[in-house]
Amino acid sequence: MLPAGCSGRLVAELRSALDACAERQLRLEQSLLVSRRLLRAWEPAGTLAPEPPLGPETKEEAPSPACTPSPQDLKELELLTQALERAVRVRKVISKAGERDKAPSLKSGFFATSPGMTASIPTRAPGQAGSHASEAKPTRGVRQTTVPAKGHPEHRLPSERNRARVGVGARATRPGPGLRDKHVAPSAAPQDPEAFTLKEKGSLLQLPAAFRKAASQNSRLWAQLSSAQPRDSTDATTAAKTRFLQKMQTASGRPGPVLSAVEVEAEVGHLQEACSLLRLRMREELSAAPTDWMQEYRCLLTLEGLQAVARQCLHRLQELLAEQPLGPCPVGRPSRAPLPCGGGADPFWSPQLLLYSSTQELQTLATLRLRVAMLDQQVHLEKVLMAELLPLVSSQEPPSLALCRAVHSLLCEAGERFLTILHDDPADSPPPTPGPQDPIRESPLLPGRS
Amino acid sequence: MGRRRRLLVDAAAEAGAGALPKVIAALSRSLPAGPSPEIFRRAKFDRPEAAPALWQLLFRLLSPRSVGGASAPLGLEAQACLVKSALRSQGYPRQVLAQLPEDGSWGSRELLLALSWLLARGPVLERLLAQAHVQLGDEMPVCECEAVASTGPLAPHMDAEGPVDIRCVQWLMGRLWFRWRCLTASQQEQCALLSKIHLYTRGCHSDQRLGHLSVAETEMLRDPEGGRQLLRRLERENAGLEAALQWRRGELVFWRWMDTVLGACPPEAPAAAAQPAFLPRIPERGPGQGELVARELRALQEELCEATERRRAAWEARVGGQGRGPQWSSARQALQKAVDQELAALQWAWEQDRGPARPHGPHRLVRREDEAPGGQDLRAAEVIRVLRSQEARLEAALRQLQGQCRQELARLAGALPGLIWILPPGR
Repeated sequence: MLPAGCSGRLVAELRSALDACAERQLRLEQSLLVSRRLLRAWEPAGTLAPEPPLGPETKEEAPSPACTPSPQDLKELELLTQALERAVRVRKVISKAGERDKAPSLKSGFFATSPGMTASIPTRAPGQAGSHASEAKPTRGVRQTTVPAKGHPEHRLPSERNRARVGVGARATRPGPGLRDKHVAPSAAPQDPEAFTLKEKGSLLQLPAAFRKAASQNSRLWAQLSSAQPRDSTDATTAAKTRFLQKMQTASGRPGPVLSAVEVEAEVGHLQEACSLLRLRMREELSAAPTDWMQEYRCLLTLEGLQAVARQCLHRLQELLAEQPLGPCPVGRPSRAPLPCGGGADPFWSPQLLLYSSTQELQTLATLRLRVAMLDQQVHLEKVLMAELLPLVSSQEPPSLALCRAVHSLLCEAGERFLTILHDDPADSPPPTPGPQDPIRESPLLPGRS
Repeated sequence: MGRRRRLLVDAAAEAGAGALPKVIAALSRSLPAGPSPEIFRRAKFDRPEAAPALWQLLFRLLSPRSVGGASAPLGLEAQACLVKSALRSQGYPRQVLAQLPEDGSWGSRELLLALSWLLARGPVLERLLAQAHVQLGDEMPVCECEAVASTGPLAPHMDAEGPVDIRCVQWLMGRLWFRWRCLTASQQEQCALLSKIHLYTRGCHSDQRLGHLSVAETEMLRDPEGGRQLLRRLERENAGLEAALQWRRGELVFWRWMDTVLGACPPEAPAAAAQPAFLPRIPERGPGQGELVARELRALQEELCEATERRRAAWEARVGGQGRGPQWSSARQALQKAVDQELAALQWAWEQDRGPARPHGPHRLVRREDEAPGGQDLRAAEVIRVLRSQEARLEAALRQLQGQCRQELARLAGALPGLIWILPPGR
């Protein structure tokens, strides 16, 4: 068993890591839910792109903004659906018989009654794909024009069903009777009408105008705000602020600490980065094979220089720690240096875009990001475990073998593999005792994994 | 000349007289929990009723993102306590703040000064607005700073659990790596879905730069109620942005006014109450970050010491007998200078507060197949490259640490006779 203090700290550290992971997973699950739902069949509430844009006549037919269906509307919808189904059946008969002249009369007769009703059909039909389907078939058949710009006969369907929102641009297409005469074309063989799916008709969606306006205003305002930053702006303001800060400092009557706690923390972070850079450089020098005496001498000088720099860094760190003991800051900062990125500024949204070109690339990017985060956490945990467990093992007399084995696996193999310890009992026929550093890899007795 | 200058100053003051209320109104509109302009005026005269609102505002400004409103809302006293310690850790110069009562019964002028101090030091408004920014696109962070910064305080987990077995630690580690794997799998799926949605909605967006809809925008079309809420939030943000712009244009007037407020304060008694209230320390807290770094540096120093001694000895042995002619010493000087320059460059690498050169924070994802070069936008390939180098660096660091542990444990094991340690086969 581990001592209480050590256990508490380790468990707390691991629990917080687990919680952070769980939180990320939760957020990811939520977005997955939304995305999956969007890729199934649903019904767009907004307007769709018309093909081609219609004139002002359509605006008059823009329906009222009611979006919640009333029972009466639902009944009307049912009646309409039945009527349309009948019409489809009739139409099928007609088209089979090859008589197309009857169809227009049917359609025009139908149109006489339909505009009023279509105008009031609410967006939110009771959500059955079936009713959409039945609506789809007849409208397709009923229309004179079925020329889709993108080859989908059903693209009229969404515009049949779309309902303009409050004040939203009424570029909705309407089944205006006479407007489509130019586009008479034989409709394709009746395909299986599906409900709206993003796959088929996603490119026809259009954002509502109010939203578009607000979004463009938003980006404009952000651009203005970031260009109004006081760096370059009127020096009077910057000067006034500096003056104010100075007065605050002098009015307090004492010089105050040279560095605030956050600045100390930032500098400690710098020193940590320094340490890793120095170590990297040291590795490079030690692994380089000098060819002539000049290179060897240079290598020696570099190593000595690195040693001097390391000494300076350590000295500086001790100065900082003495001045302000870097204990836990009560506002809850994590005890970990941030990755060297952007100098410690808070990472906020940036108007710059991130362009990707394929699913593969996006997945690679996301996976790599997670891997970097995971490695960073692993390095941090490794340091924490080292700080807690190594002293424990070295202080135990005699050391518990189980503990040694467990610590070795945790610290050296990331918990994936275990070593095996054998008692070398001289009473048994002694194989030559290998030293502890000697890995007996081919021994048949010993599975490396456990 | 003097008279003209006086006239100019008077004109400015007159313009200022009308402008100040407007500027303060703009400030209060752009702050998230903005107190009314009346509070500011009362605070100048140190009216007690203005204090609680200012405490709450300061708390909102200083608390980290995750704490603000997420967990159970803290009482006024707790908020005031946190504000005090946060200001102290940022280096707030005035002592009076520490002496203010935490129940909010007085002290509004000092709080007003503290607020202005924060506003003068950094772009507080922009930071807050960016925090609350309505995300319209599919944002993907290009770095992991946010993940690091959002790990909240450790204190809540310090429940009295008592000693645990090392197997518990092993188990927790295993759970952690499993969770990471699940996370990666879910992330892959999310990317595939995102990519599909972007593909299917191409050509829809009114903004040519973007070209396709994002999940949030498509969801808005699917769910009109949600869309309306989004629109409302967007409009609120626009109002805040406009207020912030107005503030920026007129803030000179505010700073002049703050000078007068500061002037109205009685001068502080110097350094009487010298000791600041001791920060409450969580007793069981392990080594702080500074201590960990110090350990690393010491270990590094030892390694370097060892290596240099070895090399120096080898060098002396090899070259010791050769002549030390002028050719030799000039070559040596040249080498020394070159090495010094290299090390100076190395030192510069961490001492400079590297500005926003590296891309940072969440960016909106846009799918674009055509490779139009030279845009000002970020490319995924570039980010991947940077991430791969970070990955390599971290893997090297991890291997180095593991090697260190192996050596240490081998040393300890060497002290135990009569045992055979069989290491697992290498990877």
